[in-house]
Amino acid sequence: MTSTSSPTTPHIEVRGLRRTYGTGAEAFEAVRGIDLVVDAGTVVALLGTNGAGKTSALEVVEGLAPASGGEVRVLGLDPVADRALVRRRTGVLLQVSGFPADLTVAETLRMWAATMTAPRPVEEGMAQLDLVDRADVRVRSLSGGELRRLDLACALLGDPEVVLLDEPTTGLDPESRRRVWDLVRNLRDRGRSVLLTTHHLEEAEALADRVAIMHAGRIVREGTPAELSAGHPSTVRFAGVGALAGLAHLPGATRVATDRGTTTVETSDLQTTLTALLVHAADHGVRLDRLEARSASLESVFLAIAAGDHDDESGVGDAGAATTLEGVTR
Amino acid sequence: MTIPTLSLPRTVGLARANATLVLRNRFTLFNAVVLPLLPLGLLLVGDSGGAGGAGAAAVATVLMMAALFPVYYNLLSQLVTRRDELVLKRLRTGESTDAEIIVSLALPGVVIALGTAVLTVPVAMALGQDAPLNPLLYAVAVVVTLMLFAALACWTAAWTRNAEAAQVTSMPVVLLAVLGQAAVGFPADVRRWTDLTPGAAMTDLVRVSWFGVETGGTDRTLDLSDTWAAAGQPLLVLTAWAVVAAFLARRSMRWEPRS
Repeated sequence: MTSTSSPTTPHIEVRGLRRTYGTGAEAFEAVRGIDLVVDAGTVVALLGTNGAGKTSALEVVEGLAPASGGEVRVLGLDPVADRALVRRRTGVLLQVSGFPADLTVAETLRMWAATMTAPRPVEEGMAQLDLVDRADVRVRSLSGGELRRLDLACALLGDPEVVLLDEPTTGLDPESRRRVWDLVRNLRDRGRSVLLTTHHLEEAEALADRVAIMHAGRIVREGTPAELSAGHPSTVRFAGVGALAGLAHLPGATRVATDRGTTTVETSDLQTTLTALLVHAADHGVRLDRLEARSASLESVFLAIAAGDHDDESGVGDAGAATTLEGVTR
Repeated sequence: MTIPTLSLPRTVGLARANATLVLRNRFTLFNAVVLPLLPLGLLLVGDSGGAGGAGAAAVATVLMMAALFPVYYNLLSQLVTRRDELVLKRLRTGESTDAEIIVSLALPGVVIALGTAVLTVPVAMALGQDAPLNPLLYAVAVVVTLMLFAALACWTAAWTRNAEAAQVTSMPVVLLAVLGQAAVGFPADVRRWTDLTPGAAMTDLVRVSWFGVETGGTDRTLDLSDTWAAAGQPLLVLTAWAVVAAFLARRSMRWEPRS
């Protein structure tokens, strides 16, 4: 993403952000100094395992919690001190939130609209998230997915410039998820900026212009999905373990493993490896069932970080995290 | 303490939704609408035409119930329920200010309580009581009382775990309210202290403003011009409680459930 679409200031700017829960001996630092920039017209995904600090960080950007250290600017403003100005231009979806159980969908949106300076029509908001049929249904009778869509409808009712989404598609069926993805892409195309958290790798890969991977309160990798997966192996996978028999050397392959009747080949050069494999199979009349070839993805990056977590389980703290970071970049 | 400004459309918009919720739940409906009206029946048995006595006690009971149920208990349970449902947290991500969120939750109950206080005047007069001697002072007493109990509700909500627990955590405030009224029969030494409770201060204000009866007296001795001076001490007591309650509420307010 170039800076052509971004005006003078970034939509979100986070510098050295820290957030500590509790005090004294019980203090726990959930966010340990992160930097993050979200330009106008871009989607940035905060990716991480549960407990990595994504929500803790996002709540400070949302202005719901003060930072213990560092600085947050949203549209150049302080989300706590300039609350009234910032809220008018941001839309927030919390990871878990609620609406009064005894109001209907339409009443809830009307209530929300009443709090806004410039809401779009409630009907438009319902249509955008496919809730028109559910307009007169009480919140207590909604399914988890419908509730999430209502929540999103509220977040987007003011056509905000900055959209903060904490795990927007958790609990949604695949169709609703695609719909939300389309919404997010549409926001970006109209110059809005989106900061979202997710632990779905494919979501980050599909939506984000930039991905920041959080681990133990720090951002351990940051870049475009392609940048992040560069240097990580592509994989070829197929059913059966005997297909490679008689093949002394598979070009490009860095690792061959078999597990429960499946062969997995990791390669630094997918095309060369795959060609050699297919030629070999054709020559020997071998059928490769459930053949699958994948370029390097965020998944391998992510797994490497998660694996690092196991290594330093005993040694929590700065040294441990540094090891993790090193292990990943290698 | 700064007095925050409220946006009228936002507050009314939220309050309308909150009123809908109060009316949709049978339990909150009973607490907010039916309970405060019941003590009006006390006026039927109060001695008519007397300068105070049972009439004053009946009016004081009506106001106390109006402060306790539609305002105090209702606001307490709405705050706790909405906090549990994560509605308060959600609202705080929007444009509403904290003050607007609280005022909008209190508003339906406050309107009912004010309506009850107004309705009490014609009902009492129709049943043979005197008209209020100083209606303005009566109105001031009502408003300060309701503000105090709204602030007490916010403070109680801070250490109330859930809506069921509110039945227990509300007891101290209910006792504080009832004590002042029950203390009429206590010895003077004790009453010097119970006079400092919100319940006693409010009862005194009713007797002074409506019936012209001085604190501790039983007969009408005050003129309209005397009522403001006679109301000084109980008004001060109520205001002091309100300021302390608002301060405590502001300090201890929680917007999401304890994790």
